[in-house]
Amino acid sequence: MRGTDWLITATMILSMGTAHALTADELVAKNIEARGGAEKLHAIQTLKLTGKLVVNGQFELALMQISKRPAMYRNEASLQGLTAVQAYDGKQAWQIQPFGGRKDPEKLSADDAKDLAESADIDGPLVDYKSKGYTLDYFGTEDVDGTEAYKLKLTKKDGDIEIVYLDPDHFLEIRSLTQRIVHGVEQVNETDFGEFEKVNGVYLPFAIESGPKGVADKPQKISFDKAEINVSADDATFHFPASAGVAK
Amino acid sequence: MKRLIQLTFATLAASIFATVTATAAAPVPLKFDAGSISGLSARNIGSATMSGRIAAIDAVDEKNGKTTIYVGAASGGVWKSSDGGTTYKPVFDLQNVQSIGAITIDPSDPRTIWVGTGEPWTRNSVSVGDGIYKSSDGGETWTHLGLENSERIAKIIVDPKDRNTVYACVPGKLWSDSAERGLYKTSDGGKNWSLVLKGANPSTGCASISMDPQNSGVMFASLWDFRRKGWTFRSGGENPTSPSGSGLFRSSDGGTHWTEVSDKTNKGFPVKPYGRIAVTVAPSNNKIVYALVESPRSALFRSDDGGQTWEERDRSQFMVWRPFYFATLFVDPSNPEHLFKPDLGLIMSEDGGKSFSNASGGTHGDHHAVWIDPKNPQQVISGDDGGIWYSQDAGSKWRKGENLPISQFYHVSVDDRDPYQVYGGLQDNSSWVGQSEYPGGVGNAQWENMYGGDGFWSFSDPADPDYLYTEAQGGTIGRVNRKTHEIRDIQPRANFHEKLRFNWNTPIALSPNEKGTIYIGAQFLFRSRDHGQSWDRISPDLTSNDPLKQKQEESGGVTVDNSAAEMHTTIYSISESPKNGQLIWVGTDDGNLQLTRDGGKSWNNMVGNIPGLPKNAWVSWVEASRFDESVVYAAFDRHSFGDMQPWVYRSKDYGKTWTRIVAPAQGVRGYAHVIREDTRKSELLFLGTEFGLWVSIDGGTQWAQYKGGNFPNVAVRDLVVQPRTSDLVIATHGRGIWIIDDITPLRALTPSVLNLEAGFIEARPQQQRLNAQGGWPGGDAVFTGDNPPNAAVITYYQKSRHLFGKITLEILDSKGVVIDSIAASKRRGLNRVTWGMRVKPPRVPSAAQVAFNASQGPRVLPGDYTVRLTKGEQVYSAPLKIGIDARAKYPLAERQQEFDAAMRVHALFGTMTDLVYRINAARSGVQERSGKLPEKDALRAQLAAYCSKLDEVRKQIVATKEGGAITGEERIREHMDSLYGAIVNYEGRPSDYQLAAIDTQQRELADVAEQFKKLNGEQLTKLNTALSAKQLPPIAIPDAAPEEAGKQSASGDKKGGWLERD
Repeated sequence: MRGTDWLITATMILSMGTAHALTADELVAKNIEARGGAEKLHAIQTLKLTGKLVVNGQFELALMQISKRPAMYRNEASLQGLTAVQAYDGKQAWQIQPFGGRKDPEKLSADDAKDLAESADIDGPLVDYKSKGYTLDYFGTEDVDGTEAYKLKLTKKDGDIEIVYLDPDHFLEIRSLTQRIVHGVEQVNETDFGEFEKVNGVYLPFAIESGPKGVADKPQKISFDKAEINVSADDATFHFPASAGVAK
Repeated sequence: MKRLIQLTFATLAASIFATVTATAAAPVPLKFDAGSISGLSARNIGSATMSGRIAAIDAVDEKNGKTTIYVGAASGGVWKSSDGGTTYKPVFDLQNVQSIGAITIDPSDPRTIWVGTGEPWTRNSVSVGDGIYKSSDGGETWTHLGLENSERIAKIIVDPKDRNTVYACVPGKLWSDSAERGLYKTSDGGKNWSLVLKGANPSTGCASISMDPQNSGVMFASLWDFRRKGWTFRSGGENPTSPSGSGLFRSSDGGTHWTEVSDKTNKGFPVKPYGRIAVTVAPSNNKIVYALVESPRSALFRSDDGGQTWEERDRSQFMVWRPFYFATLFVDPSNPEHLFKPDLGLIMSEDGGKSFSNASGGTHGDHHAVWIDPKNPQQVISGDDGGIWYSQDAGSKWRKGENLPISQFYHVSVDDRDPYQVYGGLQDNSSWVGQSEYPGGVGNAQWENMYGGDGFWSFSDPADPDYLYTEAQGGTIGRVNRKTHEIRDIQPRANFHEKLRFNWNTPIALSPNEKGTIYIGAQFLFRSRDHGQSWDRISPDLTSNDPLKQKQEESGGVTVDNSAAEMHTTIYSISESPKNGQLIWVGTDDGNLQLTRDGGKSWNNMVGNIPGLPKNAWVSWVEASRFDESVVYAAFDRHSFGDMQPWVYRSKDYGKTWTRIVAPAQGVRGYAHVIREDTRKSELLFLGTEFGLWVSIDGGTQWAQYKGGNFPNVAVRDLVVQPRTSDLVIATHGRGIWIIDDITPLRALTPSVLNLEAGFIEARPQQQRLNAQGGWPGGDAVFTGDNPPNAAVITYYQKSRHLFGKITLEILDSKGVVIDSIAASKRRGLNRVTWGMRVKPPRVPSAAQVAFNASQGPRVLPGDYTVRLTKGEQVYSAPLKIGIDARAKYPLAERQQEFDAAMRVHALFGTMTDLVYRINAARSGVQERSGKLPEKDALRAQLAAYCSKLDEVRKQIVATKEGGAITGEERIREHMDSLYGAIVNYEGRPSDYQLAAIDTQQRELADVAEQFKKLNGEQLTKLNTALSAKQLPPIAIPDAAPEEAGKQSASGDKKGGWLERD
């Protein structure tokens, strides 16, 4: 929770000062440092988060997300004892959407998997962006709900864009704007991050809100109450179920 | 209720109070800016049905077969469609200006877009730009690349062979001389610009350019001499025969050297003087050049030898009508004989300009931009004063784009209905009444046209709401029946040998003191107390009556243009004091600020008392204070003199002395259109300028720009606070009507509040608005405006963004029990969070499908609640009073009946959950033990039989058929969900048969419970005895489900790990 360690970190970062205009790479370095440093980030092999998801302020679901290196991810959202699953094993994404009465897993197209594939990146897009094949541009600062945030743009190999906004005092990511081409159509999504807490030396956002660009009251709000690092996770949980289609 | 209530928890009270006190004692510099106030969101209610003027279009056929379109609105930014116009999104909102003159897609890279700001169609109401911009990512991000003082840009050409070479055609400033005008060229992608073609005088700039499609070094450019003043306009010289700086030029070396095309050197070219010239080289044949030349004999000219010799072609009405507004030409990319000329009507030639025919079809009219699909020239897009249009048959018939809310309102008013309606008039788009909210959203159909022409002021008649007052340009006021749409012309008429001078945007005002009394201003002030049956002149000529500003019949330059838009020396603003009906302020367009304190018997011009104000400044707004009759606000607009800064003053002594309360030094940008007081707090002021909305909480000392809810930097021409709802309704000139729901929190903002770390802020009383359904799927290509949230809106303030650690927001009932917890907003300044006002949903047993109605709790009863914000170790709380919808026909007692009935079903769901849990516990207990017995053990068969009976009971309660089809399987759970939905979705008294159905279902459930009880009795005892004999533990059935079972958010059975699917 809100312990003293973040206070110390924040003070240290603030006291560094900025003697010159920052470059894009310096901002990336500051972000990594602010999150806990590359070493601690890279030490995370799996990351499991549990909490709740509220949709349109109306429906509340229990939520579990787990990511595992190199590029695996699974989330589960439960309502009335039924659990929806979305998962990605680095190659294939799939889902189970049981609320309408069907519990068979379904494969997702590569375009529909983009969001899941990015969620599988435990480090986030800025870390090792060059080796990921991203290009980075810096656009100065821009207002993010009253905070004049640093604006960095990542362009991915397929032309998709992610704009990352960093808090000017603490260099943590407070907003991400993704522009992806999905089935030939541009999809834009805005995600805000907050309630950062330190887990195993790494700052993680415990509040994540997503929706259309510029909408203040975002339709999807995630609130985590638990983060576990390096829990064991069988690769099978990320693969398309081998028993698919066989009723219990 | 205190405005801001901090803390309540005894252990923290002392320290928090100490913090507040310390803050008060040692003031911290106040930070009041956009971030402080923009957490109050705004919603756009459009409409796109009238849409607005489009100045520029460019589009490209993408490799994937789709068409990407960029639309430049005259005053509403850049809109992008990636799907051929089905959907659009604004991509330029974060830039400082929203007036667009030119859009060009880089022919080498469809993701690189150039935008020239500042519309070149220089009508009286035209906005201004601030230079040239480029995006390299399809409009997601923009870089400003100079030409800051260009004010307007007519066209941009990117060299198809060298994308770093770009030409920008800059007409330059409309209202004043300037050096930054002409044709500019960059060779380094916009880093540096050089002026390669300059006019002969400081009012001549570039109006048109065209590049040889085969040889990018060859180009034509026209220079245009033009000037607008508040009372006149000229395209070319002062009159049709005066010399002007206009001309046509040709370069063959990329703009380094230019040769003038003239009647002296080029056979067939018309004789000077010229006004505006449009030139274009046919894309498919570089020898064919067209030029529309405004001259005493305006006509279309054509050259077939690359501009050496010319021949006069068409000079029909729509070729030569208002060249300043329509001088542009579009030639079919594949057929040099086929071209369009936009005008009041769009006209088209198929014979190289010899003849033209009407291609307007059912469009609005006043076309300014055309795009012809190079892959299929039958597909044409046109932009006119009423939005965007698509033709599949080269301009014979047109389909309207219903999705561009770029409407250009001049004024707005509201009535007192619930929901209230919004009234307003628009540039070239009549006067309309719209709904402020509507079930399903405020769609285009929620707006109704009430008049015609250009629209300005409109008011519901407070004395008879079946009627409204509205007007078209030049004071043509009418009284309109809302139901029959019958119009009565009630414009005052001139006396013998007299001319009345009505402004383009003639002021109409309602008396705030007498229902039914209205005012209209010409050079005299008129008042009617009988719905326009008669008018009293209650003033002499209140203007300067300067004859030099009354020569509108000579306006236009080469081509006469006197459309009422240049009428001057008129009254422009009227305000009767809400505190004293005898006290009336009148502002004129020529700089007089007149006051009567005796109902019009005597008048005094107070403008001379205003220090520092240049003479003849257009009084754009005068507003008598609603709190103190000695107080008045006046806004002056000097942009028609080339001065773009805001000039706003206040007097507190009936106009004797004045203080300037808005100036550029306060960070306010743009000339001022409107200043309004809040209806309740005199220090809360709203200011609309050409570049946005600004708010002051301290009577005008500090101003913050409002940027909430995607509200762009668009011209704000009028504002009104709806007194009952405290909504701020904003008329933008370019983006339609916006509403900031409930500005009550702005009233609470004071310097001391701004310096608090956090705290709740008072909002208007919360209502549980009626549950209502509306709207219908109309496809993706229509605009629908948002409704206010049907939720309790909770407002709090934070001095800084909450970044680290939890911040929680809880709702407590009147007994102090936490009934809900919602995600807290984290931004700096005012924060708004909505709460659906629902109790937690019932526990529901798992079945084949989700019971959707039961996935929500019923809404809580109206009453007193508490909100509690916990931010680190700080705790804040405030009361939250929830009322019933003022429109509800049911009393609170019936609402209570509904809630009680819903909670009975809610409880039955819980009982059912326990029952199913117990049955499942028994089943799994049986299955577990059975698995430990040898396969042929007789007890195993008995257990299986018992288990089967248990399952039969279960299947009476919940539907179990899976597969996602419509199984139609209904058991008690499904019946109960239906009943629950019926009760919850209508909050009045439940029906007798719904109440009876609760009893029925309770009984059915009890019957099933009884069956389980029997199974759970003697039979189970016997089985347990047999199990004991086999050294197996007895089957234990819990009395109830554990607390989390059946909860909405409870996750699935995890016994089998994540792969478990049931």
